[in-house]
Amino acid sequence: MNVGLLAQSLLAGITNGLTYALIGIGLAAIFKGSRVPNAMQGEFSVVGAIVVVLLLTGNGWPYWLAILCGGLSGAVLGAFIEIAFIRYMIRNAAPEDSYLLLTIGIGLSISAAVLYFFGRESHLLPGFGSDNIYIILDAVVREHVIWLIAISILLTVGLRQFYRGTSVGLRMMAASIDPVGATSIGIDVALMRTFTFMLGGALGAAAGILITPIIPVDYMIGLQLTLKGFAAAILGGLTNPLGAAIGGLALGIIEAMAIVGVSSSYKDVITFSLLILIMIAMPQGLLGRAGRTGG
Amino acid sequence: MLGAPADAQQATGEPVKIGVILALTGAGAGLGIPERNGAVLAEKIINSKGGVSGRPIQLIIEDDGSNPDGAISKANNLIHREKVSALIGSSQTASTVAVGGLSDPMKMPQVALSGLGPAIERDRKCVLHIAPSQALNARALLEYASSIGAKKLGALYDSGYGTVVYNELRKLSDAYGITFVATEKFEISATDTTTQAAKIRAAQPDAIIVVGVTGVPIRSLRQLQMKQTIIAANGLASYETVKSMGDAADNVVFPEFLVGEDPLPHQAEFVKLFQKEYGRLPKILEAVGWDAVHVILSAFKKAGVGAANEKLCEAIRSPFKGDMTDYDFSADDLNGIKLSNVVYSKLVAGQFTRLPFQAKEK
Repeated sequence: MNVGLLAQSLLAGITNGLTYALIGIGLAAIFKGSRVPNAMQGEFSVVGAIVVVLLLTGNGWPYWLAILCGGLSGAVLGAFIEIAFIRYMIRNAAPEDSYLLLTIGIGLSISAAVLYFFGRESHLLPGFGSDNIYIILDAVVREHVIWLIAISILLTVGLRQFYRGTSVGLRMMAASIDPVGATSIGIDVALMRTFTFMLGGALGAAAGILITPIIPVDYMIGLQLTLKGFAAAILGGLTNPLGAAIGGLALGIIEAMAIVGVSSSYKDVITFSLLILIMIAMPQGLLGRAGRTGG
Repeated sequence: MLGAPADAQQATGEPVKIGVILALTGAGAGLGIPERNGAVLAEKIINSKGGVSGRPIQLIIEDDGSNPDGAISKANNLIHREKVSALIGSSQTASTVAVGGLSDPMKMPQVALSGLGPAIERDRKCVLHIAPSQALNARALLEYASSIGAKKLGALYDSGYGTVVYNELRKLSDAYGITFVATEKFEISATDTTTQAAKIRAAQPDAIIVVGVTGVPIRSLRQLQMKQTIIAANGLASYETVKSMGDAADNVVFPEFLVGEDPLPHQAEFVKLFQKEYGRLPKILEAVGWDAVHVILSAFKKAGVGAANEKLCEAIRSPFKGDMTDYDFSADDLNGIKLSNVVYSKLVAGQFTRLPFQAKEK
């Protein structure tokens, strides 16, 4: 094992970890704001990425404009789901587990719709910036990966500021922590919940757009992304987007180290054994306690 | 093959039913859907040329959902309710073996589209395999590696058929004087294999063998700026996979069977017909579906349409010149595909080109 191999593996771990983190952040944001475990978070990513692919390669729009629309499409889809389904279920006092079932069903439906309307082919998006490659410590780094790291950090920090420092963010948290109390001080709980889903949808779409230059998007990948995102979010404490980011990174790095340090055949065994140990030692997740107190 | 009388007319009369079980949904759909396209075209062309003994053939197509239980229930329906005369299927080994458990006791001919699987399949003399065995795949890969003088190889293989092929590679490598300096495994649906590729890069092989079904391993290798030739198993030789490789689709060699851009003379008509019907070029899976129907057709022609299962089975177990390749179904491995039948293609800037290299039968 030389420095170059270690550096490359670490970088691969960070890159993959951030893809899990981005999904996990959206999941955590939705759970934080609505207590709904969103089993279709990955589909927001698929929809966002496909919209960009359609506008960019199908209609020749400039990349930045297509990305904007992709992000918006996630937000619109999130709002639609909240208004059309969640509100109705809340009004009818649906039990907690039924929300999970709802999101699973929506996820399967979206996956099938993507297959039906866009076929089985996978699509890649162009990387951000240029096609340059940088060699750092003998490891190959694509320019897009640098953008991915930078934007992920920005999103995580930005989200944290949003919840702590803006009026809307504080209201969204209040509406989720104590809906009755929030209503009594004039917060529109239903609207805050819609905002939560719009935010989660936009984050999911952003994740998809950031990931698709690296991993081709197709109708099947949504579920895979969701599962990894869930692992990241739970590892970090389900209500804490920062925790999800850290959880995702940890997951990616552990995977890479398992492959390079032990063997690629045992990657999953090692990774998930470690995950189980962490969850036993810290059942609230890495930052779970902080999340529940509004951190 | 397709010798048609000059005044061929549309077939009439009671249809001859052939049951077809494929993986049309689920993980194996990437196999089943192109196979169906080839089979359906074969049905159409055969019927337009008079069918068999003046009767049209009718393919009754069922989806096993990429799972053997689904395959069994569909097979039962086809055999007992629809009363088909022969079976085609399935796309994946597990389903083929499951269906074989029903067809073999009855001696009903079954043309499997999966490669030869577990040992029990060799005893089922009426279940033929149109796809090459993993042992043949492994040999074909090593033949090319040896021909370009590669002595140290890397191997990046998936947890599915990749593992089977890798085991065969290990068994044969000594005979070729080849050593595997780095071997790494990844899950079938993995979205990234960069770390595994980095380990292979560190070992500095002369060439790399990749066995999988998605473009991911090839992209991972090329993104690490590895310039060595990649020799990839034919599961990767499809237009869809090439598209998912992006820029990495260059300097990749496949031992396969059908290069639509430059077909062998006996394949040209099939390629033309397929392109006319579907507006794109066929590849191995479509050719496999097409050949499967023609194999059964030739058995009907030899034994007669109403023949008992045993006679049909006896007739089908003979050499057959398909459009994909030449078979010999009387062989022990129930397909008789030879190393010298393998057609090598190379990806050059995303396009398949046929290589003149041919492996010699030892």
